[in-house]
Order: sequence, then structure tokens, then C-alpha cells
Amino acid sequence: MATTMTHNGTLVEVRGLKKYFPITQGIIIQRKVDDVKAVDGLDFSIQRGETLGLVGESGCGKSTTGRTILQLYRPTEGEVFFEGKDLARLKGEELRRMRRHMQMIFQDPYASLNPRMTVGDIIGEPLEVHNIAKGKEKKEQVQELLQVVGLNPYFVNRYPHEFSGGQRQRIGIARALAVRPDFIVCDEPISALDVSIQAQIINLLEELQEKFHLTYLFIAHDLSVVRHISDRIAVMYLGKIVELTDRTALYQNPLHPYTKALLSAIPIPDPIIEEKRERIILTGDVPSPVHPPSGCRFHTRCPLAIDICKRVDPEFREVGAQHWVACHVV
Amino acid sequence: MTTTISLATRTSAPTLKRSPSPWMRIALRTLRNIPALIGFLLIVAFFFTALFANFLAPYSYDKQDLDNIEKPPSAQHWLGTDSLGRDMLSRLIYGARSSAFVVLLVTVVNLALGIPLGAAAGYFGGWLENLIMRTTEILFAFPGLLFTFLIAATIRPAVLDWARSNGFADLARSGYLDYAVVIIALGFVGWAGLARFVRGQVLTVKEREYVIGARSIGVPTWRVIGRHILPNALAPIIVALSMGMGFIALSEGYLSYLGIGLQPPNPSWGNIAAENFGRYWRTFPQFLWLVFIPGLILTLIVLAFAFFGDALNEALDPELVD
Amino acid sequence: MGTLLEVKDLRTEFHTQDGVVHAVNGVTFAVDEGETLGLVGESGCGKSVSVLSVMRLIPQPPGKIAGGQVLFQGRDLLTVDDEEIRSVRGNKIAMVFQDPMTSLNPVLTIDTQIGESLELHLGMTKEQARKRSVELLKMVGIPEAEGRIEDYPHQFSGGMRQRVMIAMALSCTPQLLIADEPTTALDVTILAQIIDIVKRLKRELGMAIIWITHDLGVIAGLADRINVMYAGFIIETAPVKEIFGNPLHPYTLGLLGSIPRLDETRKEKLTPIEGLPPDLVTMPTGCPFYDRCRFRTEKCLHENPPLEVSAVRHSVACWNWQDVVKARGRA
Repeated sequence: MATTMTHNGTLVEVRGLKKYFPITQGIIIQRKVDDVKAVDGLDFSIQRGETLGLVGESGCGKSTTGRTILQLYRPTEGEVFFEGKDLARLKGEELRRMRRHMQMIFQDPYASLNPRMTVGDIIGEPLEVHNIAKGKEKKEQVQELLQVVGLNPYFVNRYPHEFSGGQRQRIGIARALAVRPDFIVCDEPISALDVSIQAQIINLLEELQEKFHLTYLFIAHDLSVVRHISDRIAVMYLGKIVELTDRTALYQNPLHPYTKALLSAIPIPDPIIEEKRERIILTGDVPSPVHPPSGCRFHTRCPLAIDICKRVDPEFREVGAQHWVACHVV
Repeated sequence: MTTTISLATRTSAPTLKRSPSPWMRIALRTLRNIPALIGFLLIVAFFFTALFANFLAPYSYDKQDLDNIEKPPSAQHWLGTDSLGRDMLSRLIYGARSSAFVVLLVTVVNLALGIPLGAAAGYFGGWLENLIMRTTEILFAFPGLLFTFLIAATIRPAVLDWARSNGFADLARSGYLDYAVVIIALGFVGWAGLARFVRGQVLTVKEREYVIGARSIGVPTWRVIGRHILPNALAPIIVALSMGMGFIALSEGYLSYLGIGLQPPNPSWGNIAAENFGRYWRTFPQFLWLVFIPGLILTLIVLAFAFFGDALNEALDPELVD
Repeated sequence: MGTLLEVKDLRTEFHTQDGVVHAVNGVTFAVDEGETLGLVGESGCGKSVSVLSVMRLIPQPPGKIAGGQVLFQGRDLLTVDDEEIRSVRGNKIAMVFQDPMTSLNPVLTIDTQIGESLELHLGMTKEQARKRSVELLKMVGIPEAEGRIEDYPHQFSGGMRQRVMIAMALSCTPQLLIADEPTTALDVTILAQIIDIVKRLKRELGMAIIWITHDLGVIAGLADRINVMYAGFIIETAPVKEIFGNPLHPYTLGLLGSIPRLDETRKEKLTPIEGLPPDLVTMPTGCPFYDRCRFRTEKCLHENPPLEVSAVRHSVACWNWQDVVKARGRA
């Protein structure tokens, strides 16, 4: 997998991306008292045709990253190049037209479909607003899309509430596919689904990637799922990427102490292996992104922390071939 | 990829049949509730009476029968006559027309002001929101009804004077300007509540994932508001409107009762009650019920709208399964 | 070791507008003293409803326990009076729920909430209860327990609240702890902390545990035995290593094939279970898994297979489990 990505070229490049959400006080005169530093300086790129996994615990900023890349949140700082164009500078109509090339699949299949629109209207809407198809042609394309995601094309006139979670997620996928995008941000697309349905969706996403040459940013909290579907994986902690490498190296040669702890914390569905596993149990909780710890953000929970970690934020540097890590101890 | 289609193996075969729209399901669910159904029928009867008052009423509302003055009910005048010999039943029926006219127009004023202002405040935020919301708060600082009375009492003489001195004396005399005064007074105060409500709804719906989803596929802003936000915010707004209509009918009754609303001979349940109350309280106790019938009708109208709105509110939960 | 809890042919249904939802359809299982039983299945399979029925915590109506027996230390909990069931709940059998946010009363201090059951069940004084509460908080690894005992739930993080819930459940040293998806809402590093604590407590206190989960990973390292549930039936039961090493029911096999493993070396395709679980209102007559099963035959459509012993301590409800074994051998 690691070999296929090199000669395809970069599709998305993120430089110094920051997204702060202001905390305000006062009703008539609002003044900013602080920021939630949800995403605090990210640098990475996504190659055409690959799946980049973005993994981290709740509140680490992984979903915000996805939404900021797609300009659903405007970045506080930094650049997002999509095929060489800086999305952060695009506005209004120009940005709206770019959306044809980049789409999103959401976590909650119950919340992400408009309950008052039929499936046909939901999937047909992107075709309409981007002037791709109208009328009969639109209807045909919608039915074809339903078939592509494994749903019965006769379902066009039904409403979202008539479907199960897994089926709704397929509708969401069909909507994202409608405009034939190059790039899809999958924001925890399976977290809300039952185990047996999760595998259906993962397989579907893999099949579609092959069929339509899609590039994915796959965001999830479950490292086993991320590792399964991704070519490369970025591990996030409190608004920063702490380690970025390919799927094999991440599992066989994790360098950052947080990655190590995360890997060891994930249970493996095999009682014989579980019996022998030694766990690195982190103490304490994830600190607040409003006042992140000084220096390295992980130093409050890090078993290896030394003095410098409290003072200096480690640089995100390449330590091996395509293996990036931000840690003083490595 | 046959996957979920196997769902069909034990259930019926899928058809292209259109599922009942959410609005249809809501209507059916609402009317399954008995008080709501009764309320709905009363509301229908109210508007029906208003619309066809000229066919339903045996006499005109201002026709005087000088041979029958202050008469108790008879075959000729089912509810009797007042001190000017007017048929009370006819006046009550025409009262529905006045009431419905005011209710509908005030609602239109509320909608025209409340929805755009509320939606703009909710969607765009910033100074616009501040301006609109602070204005509504100023309006709210006064006790609602009292404020309405104050406005009606202040602008009524001014409007009538203006009309008389500008060659609209006939119009001033006809009493149509009274309708305008009542509608302005109620509309001026009423939109604020609706605007606040709409803003709240828009704020909630704006953050829903399907709205972000719509933006992510590149739906233009006006279409996001029109197709994704408003239809989903509309349901509770309709409930608020339904409940509000009962209140408007009641307020018109109050204004007219106090003499700052609709003036006789134009009939209003409020002024009918007032006329009969003032005149016959001691000497003609048989006319007491002429005070109570308009009051009773108003009460029923308020309850009807409330029950209907309440059931509607329950039925509007989109997650509810039939 | 003796049998602590014995559930026989338990049936629970819910009477709703849409009809009768058959949530639990004749479930029989036992928990030995000191044993950890994993109850595994997807949402709506009846795993939570069956243990809530054991505790008689099903809201009635719309719920109704339609039949069966729940023998706890020889007494049928379904027939004892309300007084008696209350003396069992929280005392001999304790529960930990999924959402630590809503299971704690936000307006009472932690002290009051743990103390309540100590005073109620063990007749402790306020002073004794407080001392014991601090001990319990220390036991579940809450730092500076003395200082935090008078805090309110919102002052604790999600993981800490779940520890408080466990401390509360352990307050009367129950013989059976029922944990209903207690780790689902937690992040993975916090989950590891909680599982670590539960394992240690189990060793120290020797209580039996029923652990309800949809996560096969969590249960693999925790349970002694596993019941797999589907559509209100137990469809397979076996010791944990047997379930993972020798799954006999097509559904169990499907579940195992559905989850990506962290330790997979190559990118392998997952083998999901196609389709959806059946509607619990219009339950089919044959095997509930028929629609989604790769091994189905004509017989499965008409007759629901009973849970029958297939090997030592291993039972499965499938007419064609031998085909499953053969298919596994080929793969």
C-alpha cells in the first residue's frame, strides 16, 4: 500500500492549519474571553487515490480538521491546497463550485439527512445545484446511485425515517457520490452503526474507492477500523498530529508514546492474545483544549516525559522514510 | 451488492409508490387525537361561519326591527333583539366574520414581520441579530395586552382625525378604520414573540448535520435556508401560530369590549358583550346571557386552537413512528 | 463452584402501538459464583432487556415479563414481593449502566449517592458510610478520594464518573455485578483504565459479573463464558476461547468476520453479515437469522432451532452448524 501512493501526486495539502472557536461573554457587547484550540497547527498532505486515516480520542479535533479542510468551518490560520488551489482563500460562488470535487460522509445517519425530503430529492439535490442533471435524467442518475450503494432503486420516493441506520448511511454515501467527487472526507462513518452493519459500510467504501478512484480522509476513533481501511495514518492528540506514517509502520514500529498507549489499549477480539498482552495504561484524562498543557501537550499523561517536554513544544519531524513524529524522547 | 435488498424477502415487494409525505402523516396523527379533532372542527366551523355569514345570518347585522325592541327569543328572532331592535343571532354570526378577519390579518402581519426578521437574526447573527432581538425585548418589557390597549387607544383618535381632515370622512364613519387600528395594535406587539421563536428554531436547525451536509454538497445559501432550515423549523412555528390565533381572537374581544376596538354597529363579540352588559344588567336580567354567549364562544375558540396546536406539536415529532 | 443465578425460559415483551415487540423469547442461562459471563449482541437483540428483567427493572407497562423463572440463590426473583426485590437490588446484585452522565443524580454529592445504599442496605451511620465511601473511591482508583467525596457528578470527567458508578455498585459487596455496556461511551485509553480496574476488583472481591456488550474485543479479555444473542434468543453459548476459536453459529462467525483486527497483517476484506435483523413485532416462525444466513436450508425457514449441546459446555441453536464447521475448515 505504501508503495502505490508515491507516484500519484498530491491531491490535498494542509499547511499550518489552525481552527480556534472563540468563547464569548456578554449579551449586548460580546467580547472574546478565550479560544477552544480545536485544531492547532497541522501539516500533512493526502495523495491522490490513497486513504489517509485520522485517529484520536473525542475532543482531539479530528472532526474539526475534516470540516475545516472542506471549509465548512473557515480556518483561523493556515492553507488548504486542493489540486494546487488554496481553498481557504476561496469565497462564495467560487468555493461553492469547488464543492463538486470534495464531499463529506457524516457520522450520524439519523441527523445528516433532511427528514422532510425524499431519498430521491436528497440524492438529486447535488446534481441539481451543480447543474449536472435535471428532470428525467436526474431521476435516472439517482436510481443508478442507489444501486451503486446497494439500495433498491425503487426507494426513491421514500423518506429517511423509513430506513435503518445502515441504509441511511448508504443514502448519505450516494449523496456524496452524486457529483463524482475526487475527494471524500469520511467523518466517523460507521461509529453509529451496529457491528455487522459496520463491515458492510467499510466494504462498500472500499469498493467505491476502487471503482471511482476516490481519495479518502477517513476520520475515526477506532484504530482497528482506521488501520484496516487506511494506507497511512495520522494520530491526533489535543489539536495536533503526534505521529504520521503508513499502516504497517504504525503498528509494528510506533514511536510516539501516545500511539503506543493507544495501540496497547485497543482490545483484540482473541482471548488467547488478550491473555498475554501487556497494557500501557495512561493515567488521567485528556486536558481541556482551552488551556492545553505547556510544551508537549501529552506530557501530563506521558510515561516518558522529561523536563524539556514541559517547556518546549516538540517539532513535527521526519524520523524515518515517510515517518513523522512530534516527540522529544524519540 | 445485493445486501439490504434482501430486506424485501419477508416484507412486501418494494414499489415506486410514493410514501405519504411527512405533512400528511402529521395531519393524520393530529386528527387521531379526540380533543384535537373537536378543536379542528370548531376552527373549521369558525372560519366557515365567518366566510358565509351573509348566507347563514337571518338578517343583516345592522338591520333594525323597530317593532321588536329588547325582545326575548322568539321564532322570528332566535336569540332575541337588542335595544335598537337588531337580531342578536345575526350579530353574533357576523361577529365571527369580524373576529376571523382580524385573526387572519394579524397573523399575516406577524408572519410577514416575524419570520423574515427571526430567520435573519438566527441565520446571520451579529449586529443584525442584536438589533432585532433588542427591539423585541423592548416590546416585551411592557405587559402585552396593556401595551396593545395603549397603542389602540392612542392611535385610534389620531387615525380617525387624519382620515376626516384628509377627505376620508366616509371611511372614518364606516368603521373600517377601526379594523385597521386593531390589526396594527395587535400586529405591532405580536410579531416580536414570533420573531424570537423563529430565531430560536433557526438556531437549532442551523446546527443540524443535514444543514452542514447541504452546505458541504454546495447548496447555495438561499436554498439552504429555504429547503433545509425553514421546512424543519416550520413545524413548531405552525404550532405557535395556531396557539397565537386563539389569543388574537381573544385580544380583539377585549379591545372591542373596552371600546377601543371595533365600534358598533360593526359587530364584534367584544362589543356585543359590552353593549348588552352596560344596558341590561339590572333592568333586563334575561339579557344577561347575551353577555355570556360571546364570552363562551371566545373561550371555545381559544381552547380549540390550543388543543389543536397541542396535538399538532406532538404529531410534529419527525422521529415518531405511526 | 455453585450456581449463583439461573434464568429459565425468560420471556419479555413490550406492548406498543405497533403491536407486541418480542424482545426476549425464552432465554435460559446460568451464572456461576465468581464467573464472568459476557452477553454479546447488537442493538435490539434483547441483551439489556433480559438482565433488566432479571432485576425486574423493566418499565411496566409497556414492558411485561411474560414467563420464565429467575432463580437467585434458589429464590425466584420474579415472584418475590417488592420489598424483597429491593433488598436484592443494589445489595446482592448491583448494576452499572452505559451512560455515567445520566445515571448519577446531578444535584447530589458523590458522598450522598454512595452513602445512600450503605445506610439503606447495611444500616451504617453517616460517619461509617462516609469512611466506607472514601475507601470505595480509592478502590476504583480515584485520586485524592477524601477531597473529592463532596464533589458533584459534573465535576468529574466521563471516565471518573464511570469509576464512581462502579464504586457505588460495589458498595454493598454484591455477589453479582451486572455491567450494561459500561465502556461504550468512553474513549479507548479510558476504557483500558476501566477494564484494568474491573479485572483487579474481580480478583480481589471474587464476585460474578454479567458484562453486556456489542464489542467482541472488550469481552475477549474479560469473560470466562459468552452468550451470543440475536433477536431475543441466545443462539450460542460457550467458554470464551471456544467462541472465538470454534464459532458454530453462522451469526457468531459473521460477527467475528465483521470486525477489523488491529493485528491484521495484510489488508483483508471483511466478510460482513448481509441484510438487517428481523422486525421483533412480526417475528418469523423459522430461524430468526434465516434472511441473512449463508447456510440456510428449507428446514430453517419453518422450524426455529433450539439451543442444543454441540460439545462440552458449548451449545448452539442452528440446524446446520456442522456445515459451518466444514466451511470454516475450507477457509
